[in-house]
Amino acid sequence: MSPNYILKRLMMIVYTLFVVSLIVFAITQVLPADAAVMMLGENATDEALNALRQSMGLDAPIWAQYGHWLGSLLQGDFGTSLRTGQPVGPIMFEALGRSLLLAVLSIGLMLVLAIPLGIIAAIRRGKVADMVVSLVSYAGVSLPEFVTATLAVLFFADLMKWLPPTGYVPLTENFVDGIRYLVLPVCVISIILIAHVSRMVRSELVDVLHTDYIRAARMKGLSGGTVLRRHALRNALLPTITIVALDVGYLLGGVIVVEEIFAIPGIGRQLIVAIQARDLPAIQAGVLIMAATYSIVNFVADILYAWLDKRIQYD
Amino acid sequence: MTDNTKNAVLDVRNYSLDYKTANGTFHALKDISLEIARGEILGLVGESGSGKTSLAWSIMRYLPGNARETSGKILLSGEDLAQKSSSEIENMRGKRISMVFQDPSTSLNPTLSLGSQLSEVLVRHRGLTRKQAWSEGEAMLARVGLKTPAAMMHRMPHEASGGEKQRVVIATAFACNPECIIFDEPTTALDVITSRQILDLFVELQAETGVASLYISHDLALVSRTAGRVAVIRRGELVEQGSVGEIFTTPRQDYTRELIAAVPDPRRRLVAGQVPTDAQPLVRVEDVSVHYGRKPFLAALTGRKHERVTGNRAVSLSVNQGEILGIVGESGSGKSTLAKAMTGLNPFEGKIWFDGRPITGLKDMNTVYRKDVQIIFQHPDASLNPRQRIGEILSRPLKLYGDAANLDQQIGDMLEQVRLPRTHASRYPHQLSGGEKQRVAIARAFASRPKLVICDEITSALDVSVQASIVQLLLELQKAGNTAYLFITHDLNLIRQIAHRIAVMYRGDLIEIAPADQIDSPQRADYTRRLLDAVPPPVGSAA
Repeated sequence: MSPNYILKRLMMIVYTLFVVSLIVFAITQVLPADAAVMMLGENATDEALNALRQSMGLDAPIWAQYGHWLGSLLQGDFGTSLRTGQPVGPIMFEALGRSLLLAVLSIGLMLVLAIPLGIIAAIRRGKVADMVVSLVSYAGVSLPEFVTATLAVLFFADLMKWLPPTGYVPLTENFVDGIRYLVLPVCVISIILIAHVSRMVRSELVDVLHTDYIRAARMKGLSGGTVLRRHALRNALLPTITIVALDVGYLLGGVIVVEEIFAIPGIGRQLIVAIQARDLPAIQAGVLIMAATYSIVNFVADILYAWLDKRIQYD
Repeated sequence: MTDNTKNAVLDVRNYSLDYKTANGTFHALKDISLEIARGEILGLVGESGSGKTSLAWSIMRYLPGNARETSGKILLSGEDLAQKSSSEIENMRGKRISMVFQDPSTSLNPTLSLGSQLSEVLVRHRGLTRKQAWSEGEAMLARVGLKTPAAMMHRMPHEASGGEKQRVVIATAFACNPECIIFDEPTTALDVITSRQILDLFVELQAETGVASLYISHDLALVSRTAGRVAVIRRGELVEQGSVGEIFTTPRQDYTRELIAAVPDPRRRLVAGQVPTDAQPLVRVEDVSVHYGRKPFLAALTGRKHERVTGNRAVSLSVNQGEILGIVGESGSGKSTLAKAMTGLNPFEGKIWFDGRPITGLKDMNTVYRKDVQIIFQHPDASLNPRQRIGEILSRPLKLYGDAANLDQQIGDMLEQVRLPRTHASRYPHQLSGGEKQRVAIARAFASRPKLVICDEITSALDVSVQASIVQLLLELQKAGNTAYLFITHDLNLIRQIAHRIAVMYRGDLIEIAPADQIDSPQRADYTRRLLDAVPPPVGSAA
């Protein structure tokens, strides 16, 4: 893997974010919301509105407004919320932190379950175990998260009262409670990912187990387990990295629904609040931060992939 | 041979194997008996589907779930392998009996270093630590003739050439001094010169270690150069078994005779002398160069220089009316690149003159040119649309270039011309055998009555006997229509049989062009001579 490749990928991220910033800015321009009206209320006088617009730079041409916004962004200033008057950046990043906690836990739980399930299904191909894994994962993938979430809350919180239904407690405040609040949302998210990833692991491993080099390894006298560990899994799990990175895209979207249902103040929830309040700077910041997260995760996945499979030589 | 039954390292006795399939029982092997003594090489020759690979897997005890062993025994140094438990079998594999596979690029794990794949067998069977195994591995790579064994151990498979990889596979097979090694077409995937070197290495190591070797191949000529005895297998049955000399000079069975006759032999020319050189050749290729690849993103941005891969470097040659020009060379020598350039599949620099008309690029290749220049590819599976019936496939060129009247009649005639029944028109490609599919591809190419047909390795995926019949068909068609061929192949013996002139290519350069009957003259270029030395004509025969 050449430094050339890493540099190129980093430049692609910068380019992607630039395009996203253009689109986000354009969308917020066509939204039927006037920042000055939002701040001063419907009854404000024209003079007051104009004065405010002038002070905020809203009377400048659009490209100048964009340049100003982008310039501040590059200095780490995401703007001030129209709703609360607070800087948007810190709020959004704090929310992103909570969402990432949710996402990382979900992916972790998913990997711990999905990879063994996929391996079992591949090894016992066509047998009962394979059918059961297939059935369960299809059921998981066909139920949308708002259905599984509602069912989970109904059963585990309302009926059995094992876990709190909704809410969020920071782990730093009370670790045990924090975890109790996270269990249901993490399970709901990972159920959908498990289906996806275990199917992927299964089909990749089935392919790998039929390759010549697996047969060759068996002919060296290596046992089935050794061949699986040393030769098959590495190759079969490689594509999973890419799939998981792509799933982060789903997570960023799916997390919005789950955060809303479980009332977790993550970035998805912040974004919904911002959209409802027509809080333009908050919307812009939220979308950009999500796009950046997605780009960086995929960048890391590509680097990891190239590092594990030396054949991949991008330049 | 019967006296040393007790000494036989590998002894297969009356062995039969069936596969249970959805369509009933398939008898893969029927009453096979063979023996290999210490220090002996037995060549097992058969066409694809003859059961030779099934036998290899039976010996290695690696059979699919639907296999049923119906009779016989397989003994390794007197021990019945069928009686052994699976852990005993695992202990035996790689230690007492090992295997060398056809294609080193698929039989090595792409994500593990060559060294770790070699040393794992030492760790497994000789109880060495990883470190000891690694240094032992280095010594073994040196023994198989690799120049920089220490560096090679650390390389990944994609960083080594095909020949180097096969040497590593051979080193792995010999690593634990096994009693018996099965070689399953170990040189088929390699280039002519490389495969010669691998063969020499095999013979040398075999003599040194005295390992009993089962050498499986479809290539009778190749086997005749290495094995002491040959067994011919057909449809799961051993047809004939005997010493190489016996088999080649006095074959007892018709099938063996057919197989021997099908082996290309340059001493048996199939076309007459030379084609009269016309004032104007049909095609003249003038300084044609092809480059692959585009400038990488960052190089373009920083203005750094970038070397493109050269496919062809200023190649010039000509083909006369009705002439068969052979093009030979190793993989990567630019043979197919030239074919692609001439059919507009690759952009090229330079000029091609066709029938006196200059062609400088794709835009000059009009319908007339397309009609006159046809190409047949190596794999009919890839070049015939699997979702079209043979009739539809053949109707395309007729609609394009011929008259579309009486299509069915014409398609039937075309099929007959390539010795296929007219009824094949309603079949799909997957219902045909490899040879039949290639005949369809030939019929398609000849539908437009072309003046030049480019044959790109069209027989290399076929069995020897099928190849012989395809070649015969091509020669008949050539005589009937006075068609010129550009016949690309890596099979020197074949091309020496059928070409008028032979062009030799090496790494994108045209080395030389010589009349086929003078290709073995000592005046030829060094590379040509090395190529010829690598594939001597088959033993005996030719009478």
